Amino acid sequence: MDAGMIWEWIIKSIFLILFMTGGFAYVTLLERRVLARMQVRIGPNRVGKFGLLQPIADAVKLIFKEELIPAGADKLMFIVAPVITVIPALIITGVIPWGTSINLFGREIALSIANVNVGVLYIMAVTSISVYGITLAGWSSNNKYAMFGGLRSTAQMISYELALGLSLVGPILLAGSMNVMDIVQAQKTLPFALLQPAGFIVYFMATLAEINRAPFDMPEAEQELTAGYHTEYSSMKFALFFMAEYIKMIAVAMIGSTMFLGGFQGPFVDQLPWLGPVYLFGKVIVWLFVDIWIRATLPRIRYDKLMALGWKVMYPIALLNVFITGILVVLTTKR
Amino acid sequence: MTTLQIVFLIIAAITLVSACLVVMTRKIMHAALWLVLSLMGVAMVYATLQSGFYAVVQVLVYIGAISTLIIFAVMMTRNVMEDVGPQSNRGWGLALVGSLILFAGTSAILLTWDKAQTVLQEIPAVNGENIQMLGLALVDPMGFLIPFEVASVLLLAALVAAIFLTADIKRSRS
Amino acid sequence: MTEATLINPLDTLVDQFPSGWVKKDERPGYSGFIVEREHLLEFARTMRDDFGFDYLSMVTASDYLAEGKFDVVYYAYKTIGGPALIFKVQVPREDAVVPSLVALYPGADFQEREVWDLMGIRFEGHPDLRRILMWEGFEGHPLRKDWKEPFYEEDVKPYKSRWPEGKPVNADDRNPFNDNVQYPTGFDPERWVPEAETLLYSGLQRTTHNEEFKTDELIVNMGPQHPSTHGVFRMVVSLQGEKIVDLKPVMGYLHRNHEKIAERNTFLQNMPFTDRLDYTTSMSNNFAYALAVEKLMGLQVPERADYIRVLMAELTRIMNHFFATGFLLNDLGVYFTASLYAIEERELILDIFEEISGSRMMCNYFRFGGVVRDVSDEVLKKIHNLVYDRIPRKLDQFDAYLTNNEILRTRCEGVGVLTADQAIALSTAGPILRASGVPYDVRRADPYSIYDRLEFDVITGNHGDIYDRYLVRVAEIKESIKIVKQLLRDIPSGPILAGKPAYQVRVPAGESYGRVEGPKGEMGFYIVSNGKPNPERYHVRAPTFINLTSLAPMSRGEKVADVVVILGAIDIVLGEVDR
Repeated sequence: MDAGMIWEWIIKSIFLILFMTGGFAYVTLLERRVLARMQVRIGPNRVGKFGLLQPIADAVKLIFKEELIPAGADKLMFIVAPVITVIPALIITGVIPWGTSINLFGREIALSIANVNVGVLYIMAVTSISVYGITLAGWSSNNKYAMFGGLRSTAQMISYELALGLSLVGPILLAGSMNVMDIVQAQKTLPFALLQPAGFIVYFMATLAEINRAPFDMPEAEQELTAGYHTEYSSMKFALFFMAEYIKMIAVAMIGSTMFLGGFQGPFVDQLPWLGPVYLFGKVIVWLFVDIWIRATLPRIRYDKLMALGWKVMYPIALLNVFITGILVVLTTKR
Repeated sequence: MTTLQIVFLIIAAITLVSACLVVMTRKIMHAALWLVLSLMGVAMVYATLQSGFYAVVQVLVYIGAISTLIIFAVMMTRNVMEDVGPQSNRGWGLALVGSLILFAGTSAILLTWDKAQTVLQEIPAVNGENIQMLGLALVDPMGFLIPFEVASVLLLAALVAAIFLTADIKRSRS
Repeated sequence: MTEATLINPLDTLVDQFPSGWVKKDERPGYSGFIVEREHLLEFARTMRDDFGFDYLSMVTASDYLAEGKFDVVYYAYKTIGGPALIFKVQVPREDAVVPSLVALYPGADFQEREVWDLMGIRFEGHPDLRRILMWEGFEGHPLRKDWKEPFYEEDVKPYKSRWPEGKPVNADDRNPFNDNVQYPTGFDPERWVPEAETLLYSGLQRTTHNEEFKTDELIVNMGPQHPSTHGVFRMVVSLQGEKIVDLKPVMGYLHRNHEKIAERNTFLQNMPFTDRLDYTTSMSNNFAYALAVEKLMGLQVPERADYIRVLMAELTRIMNHFFATGFLLNDLGVYFTASLYAIEERELILDIFEEISGSRMMCNYFRFGGVVRDVSDEVLKKIHNLVYDRIPRKLDQFDAYLTNNEILRTRCEGVGVLTADQAIALSTAGPILRASGVPYDVRRADPYSIYDRLEFDVITGNHGDIYDRYLVRVAEIKESIKIVKQLLRDIPSGPILAGKPAYQVRVPAGESYGRVEGPKGEMGFYIVSNGKPNPERYHVRAPTFINLTSLAPMSRGEKVADVVVILGAIDIVLGEVDR
């Protein structure tokens, strides 16, 4: 392990974090513009060309807002909760490869930060701890709406994590590895979304629930719980929650594209490794667009119906999918 | 001392201190959170032992699932925000003496037991291979298949019991 | 209801009761019956059960200071249609106690509370007689004629002091705030601590506590600041998990004592003031008020004016129902998409209103005996385009995307159910009543203006749930389009106002009640005139205020998320609820 390697890691990590935070800023803009178009409006277009500077204006506004901490709140937890929410969102994509490797300044640089053998498991583990931030925020605010939001999100995330985890078992079985790179390489000819349609759909819906996006945005259901777990938050602490939500959106889009849509694979990517990140980026954008589209279109499902859907429909489907996939893999594998 | 040892000591300190705080803090919610930190420390110990799989599973199962459920249950309790009563009862001195005796006894036995003195050997395992071995061992009739299945039956019984306890019996009658 | 109830004549009503119980109201300009206070309950029960007056539409009171008594006025109707049964109870001002009718007509609940709050008449036997619009610590009952507000100058407008020598003077400058504020004796605003609303909270129903698990209810205040209460409205809910055990609406945050102000205004000054009640449907408010005053004046409205009036009222209905369905979807959590599409259509109608009245929402378009301006042919052509092309097209689109949407159906079907009997008993009106399967529409039941000549159907639902309310609203848009098409075909030319336009109208003494089927329900104005230029009593039957009575019965047992939608399906406007 030489010094150059460590520098490479540091630079790649910093790049990833900057990419995710920058991506967050522009996903908010994308969402606002797309929503506006779908709602016969125009959307933010005053700050900069096409409103491109709007995220910066928003950030400045949020920084200068007053930081409020409710009197009855558990102060330490109240302050820590947004941080705990953002960190898993930022680190989860560490195992996602952006491409094979490229040659830069005479160095062969792998386009992934960590090539972990248990990559998929790592993703699951980080997902499972991401519920803490929301739960803590809901609890520490000492507010009934926030408490409801926290309770809802905990229950919802636990329920949908099962289906989410099981939906990822399909690709693992097909690729025969938990290494994310191997899974991408196994999709060279055919993306797993075609081999695993049920798994893909379950993954898509479960992630919507997991990141609290419409129509599963129960924990913050504006119409019922005002803002759910972040009711009491203001200024940058609120911004961190906002950030975590959108970064998670990008992250699940990236993971989903990698596991089911072939990740960085695409035509000519072998000859031109630079195309890898571009393909991945394109897939992520399409995924995000669909997320936004759904938000503009569908009413929110009621909470009990959501839980019923998670336990009674998605979980059995995912389980069945694993079962069938396992049998088929065993039958078709040559010994 | 190598770097690894220093790291291990720090992790061990975090784990133990937070484990003590689990029983010493007043707020039940804080206790649950200290438990999470303690479990996280254990996961880090696994990580320092070069066992990524166990570290990840520790996080996934204990922190991601079990502790979340504990916290969920704690949030449902009444007056979670308030401190209630003194943390220890009158018998705390007796309990201390008892636990010290137990600790001393266990230490004495372990120190005198010759099997505990054997130097551990590194298992020569190829990347990923030991996970596969674990998986095979769990479903091998000669391995741990029966305990594995018995454990699942136990869990099923617990599930049924939980449903029975919480189900609205009045409604089903009418 | 037996056959006899249908033909039981009101003329011989007095004779059917022991003498002295009931007598005809024979004051000039008045009608109905005066019932002795002791026998009110019995009278009301007979009227409900034997005469079929099952729908208590309005309860109010008026203060006759000179005679030293209050009249408590009841308007009851048959849901099969027909004119009103008006009965009154006269009580002396010193002993203002009347038996409560809540047990017979649960719909009287909020209205009796309102009368107690504003008029100070105690209703004996009312289960929850608290103030409803004013706050608990308020001193006095503001609608009493001897109650004077801060900045009080004269009983009636126009105030002479406002225009000394033709120059306006700000009332606040003449009367600095502190000089004119009344505090109850012993009240110090600096040291005052608001009392906990123990009455409100203790009134909430609770489930018996589950001893085994020691579970507890959670009381949540939804509102006054809440994104989906459609204004400053508060619902106190007690929750068992996510399930609603009980709910109590709290309102009055927007209260401005509309009725007191209106009693100071002249008759015509009130016309723009009615716009401010339900600020989304000013045309129907105008319509009802104009009808009430015209009844007193005995004015005949020219035919063209009638056509224009109905045209405007129906356009208002289209607009309101679009808005209501759009925002219902909003309450379901479709981030504004449906409502913005609905608002797009609404804008087109508002453009028409702007063109004819000069204002988009505060139209102030009706006058006693007609309307204020004629509608040009260009506007008629625009309306023609709207109802023949644009709105049906957009409505079909709306229908196609929403009506069979899976999530919409699962969230709305079977939620917030109100049976027909409940809906009648709770005095709900408009789409809520009709969605419960009661074909009661004032336009048909008690036709006013030219509705008896028009061809349209009264839309009813079968299940009385939110989905039916949605369907009724969508279908009513279609019916309104049908009406507008007939109006455009038949509209005659001619004058638009009976007589000359006048700032001051002469209204003979008497009482009258004008009601229309507004988009949100029966919109009515109860006016008492004593021959002066100002109304002696002016009461608004605000449909959404009374519809809110049904909120708690509909919400019990539903989930938190449903309450928001149930409230959205009632389609409230706080300007009207709080008045």
